[in-house]
Amino acid sequence: MNCRESRPLLPLFLDGELEARQMRAVALHSTRCPGCEDELRQIERLQELVATHVAQQVEAIDLSALWARVGPRLKATAPPWHERLREWWWEVRSEGRRGWLPVSAAVVGAAGVLAMILWQAQRPTEPAQLASAVDNSAILDSVQSNVDSVALLREPETNTLVLWITDDVPATAGDFGDVR
Amino acid sequence: MSCRGGSLATLMLSAWIGCSAVAWGQERTDGQDGAVEVRIGAVVASNSGQAFDQRLIALQRQFTSLFAYSSYRLIREERRRVAWKREAEFSLPGGRLLLVMPREYKDGRVALSLMLAHGTRPLVNTALALRNHGTFLVAGPHHEDGVLIIAIGASTVR
Repeated sequence: MNCRESRPLLPLFLDGELEARQMRAVALHSTRCPGCEDELRQIERLQELVATHVAQQVEAIDLSALWARVGPRLKATAPPWHERLREWWWEVRSEGRRGWLPVSAAVVGAAGVLAMILWQAQRPTEPAQLASAVDNSAILDSVQSNVDSVALLREPETNTLVLWITDDVPATAGDFGDVR
Repeated sequence: MSCRGGSLATLMLSAWIGCSAVAWGQERTDGQDGAVEVRIGAVVASNSGQAFDQRLIALQRQFTSLFAYSSYRLIREERRRVAWKREAEFSLPGGRLLLVMPREYKDGRVALSLMLAHGTRPLVNTALALRNHGTFLVAGPHHEDGVLIIAIGASTVR
């Protein structure tokens, strides 16, 4: 790969958008070509600046007044079903249609029972039950690192193992330190 | 009568042999004979915002228990079937590369070799035996305004 082929791929390389083979080719070229390596660092710096700026802008947006404006509109469109049901019920009562009372009570009762059955059937499994079924236990045979520090963490409930690496201080390529 | 009893015994014996053969075959194909489905998920964990990506719901308990970030975003997901003792390369954000090689299946565990590289620089090289269908996490590299968490899952397939 030469510079002309590598340059358009550099932003995609940083975003991880390239095929593994292309990534390897760009990485290899960048380590040999000071110009491309420099451009790669500049793009990386630019991406960091943009991400920081966007994050700051998003944090600065005040959304507290949004619901105050949207809420009344939602209420104006349609009252919730229980309010409509209550209104209908009071209308029926005020009109003195006593003959409807047993039928309405039966319908409401049946709807309640049906809702309970459906709720029981569709209730999702509790997260604790799901988590207890998960077993992510892993036996670590060896770890070789080329980074500043390595730590092992374990989540006790699912036995999930985490290899935490800190790559703030780059070491020399190929200089693996054994932390077994 | 004794003839009918003998036929029944023969039938039961045949059924038992048949079931055992099927079970034995199943055990073999569940293990080393097939391949491994390797699942890779790249997650950016940060303190910008409060969003938890709903696609990560299966890992929510682990993330909240292990890390102290307020936001988790899945930025890349890939599943690939990898043959035993063959290497597979997975591109990750930030110019990182993950190499995975399933080595063997033993005692319900998938033995894997993993290497994470940043460009041409290898960061970490590890060998582990992960419970079949389990998930292992590699975390810590800086990415955007947070850190990258790489979830690596492995399941044997026929």
